[in-house]
Amino acid sequence: MASLRTTSRLFAASRPLFRPAAFARSYATVEATKNVDPIPSENPSMKTFKVYRWNPDTPSEKPTMESYQLDLKKTGPMMLDALIRIKNEIDPTLTFRRSCREGICGSCAMNIDGVNTLACLCRIPTDTASESRIYPLPHTYVVKDLVPDLTLFYKQYKSIKPYLQNDTPTADGLENRQSPEDRKKLDGLYECILCACCSTSCPSYWWNSEEYLGPAILLQSYRWLIDSRDEKTAERKAALDNSMSVYRCHTILNCTRTCPKGLNPGRAIAETKKILAA
Amino acid sequence: MASFARSSLLRQSLATRSPFMRQNVGVSQAVAFHASARKQILPPQPQSIEGTMNDPVPVPSPSPMHGSYHWTFERAVAVGLIPLSIAPFAAGSLNPVMDAVLCTLLVAHSHIGFEAAIVDYFRPQRVPKTYSLCQWLLRAFTLTTAVGLYEFETNDVGVTEALRRIWNA
Repeated sequence: MASLRTTSRLFAASRPLFRPAAFARSYATVEATKNVDPIPSENPSMKTFKVYRWNPDTPSEKPTMESYQLDLKKTGPMMLDALIRIKNEIDPTLTFRRSCREGICGSCAMNIDGVNTLACLCRIPTDTASESRIYPLPHTYVVKDLVPDLTLFYKQYKSIKPYLQNDTPTADGLENRQSPEDRKKLDGLYECILCACCSTSCPSYWWNSEEYLGPAILLQSYRWLIDSRDEKTAERKAALDNSMSVYRCHTILNCTRTCPKGLNPGRAIAETKKILAA
Repeated sequence: MASFARSSLLRQSLATRSPFMRQNVGVSQAVAFHASARKQILPPQPQSIEGTMNDPVPVPSPSPMHGSYHWTFERAVAVGLIPLSIAPFAAGSLNPVMDAVLCTLLVAHSHIGFEAAIVDYFRPQRVPKTYSLCQWLLRAFTLTTAVGLYEFETNDVGVTEALRRIWNA
């Protein structure tokens, strides 16, 4: 038995560290046959995707990184295409949220190669030598695989009353109107799709998510603070004026760096602080 | 002592009888050789959601002394420190009043900064005792610093002059 083990170790050591991806299928290991693209093209460029897996049905098992190999020539350009291909053709148990596949619903927010982003807006790096690692949003409670629990996030969103509060009827009985200049203030704010990429990239939100609202919610809060049609500005300011809701922001600016829609939550929080101080 | 012996004896007899003994040894060995530490500093607790999914999180009552006034004061101190730390060296003159103001702002600035770090990392809901211990430690250090600086200013050369001498030494 001992001698057997030694030979197998020697054998393992003599294997090349980096073997060309084209020959990966020829090795008859369980891992390889299980998670490799079943229908690669003639001259495939195989890329490895390492995906975070955790199943709530077996809660005592630790989360693992499962690797899948896909032929990029048969896969769409975006990370979401790769995930959908893995789910459809390799492993139907892989779980993730997705809906619009064009960056407007915010469902497929996840941590790809160390950056929070939307899988549908993130191109697959064409470099096949390096693998791509896909995790759920950091510091979230995971429901399954790549699905985070955003209950607290939505409850916090509800707490800022994200709707127009105006009890005064307009003179002509029509809709509440605003000038083009006032409307312009909302540009860069109304585009937020609440994907939670920014909030879950914020260290302050990691430590104090129970009380600190986080960049996404504060951007929405600022959007209603500066709306010229809203009448409850004083109440909105009072709701934010405590040590935890806003002032746990230390201008780390991970939010602005990671936002897949190119918005600037850091600036919105800074403006909120200026409004509160005034 | 007797209880110690009894419990270990019990465990031994249980272990010899248990059909899972081999497995247990394997797990402990795997844990012993694992590179990542099992022990974490303040590991996350199970998720707890107050109320139903459709309730908003409670909105704290407004307290500007800890909110907007605190922030404005903090910024004023930080901005004020810039000219105060340049002026005595630029002017080349020694003014005890300026020195006193600089020391006061320095103490206030560092106290606010450390307090923010304590609030960030030692949450009173999670570690109430550590939180209050750190807060009192910080107050003690701030007070000691303030008294020390006062003594240094009144009985010795003062901060600005000391820095100048160190710089020219």
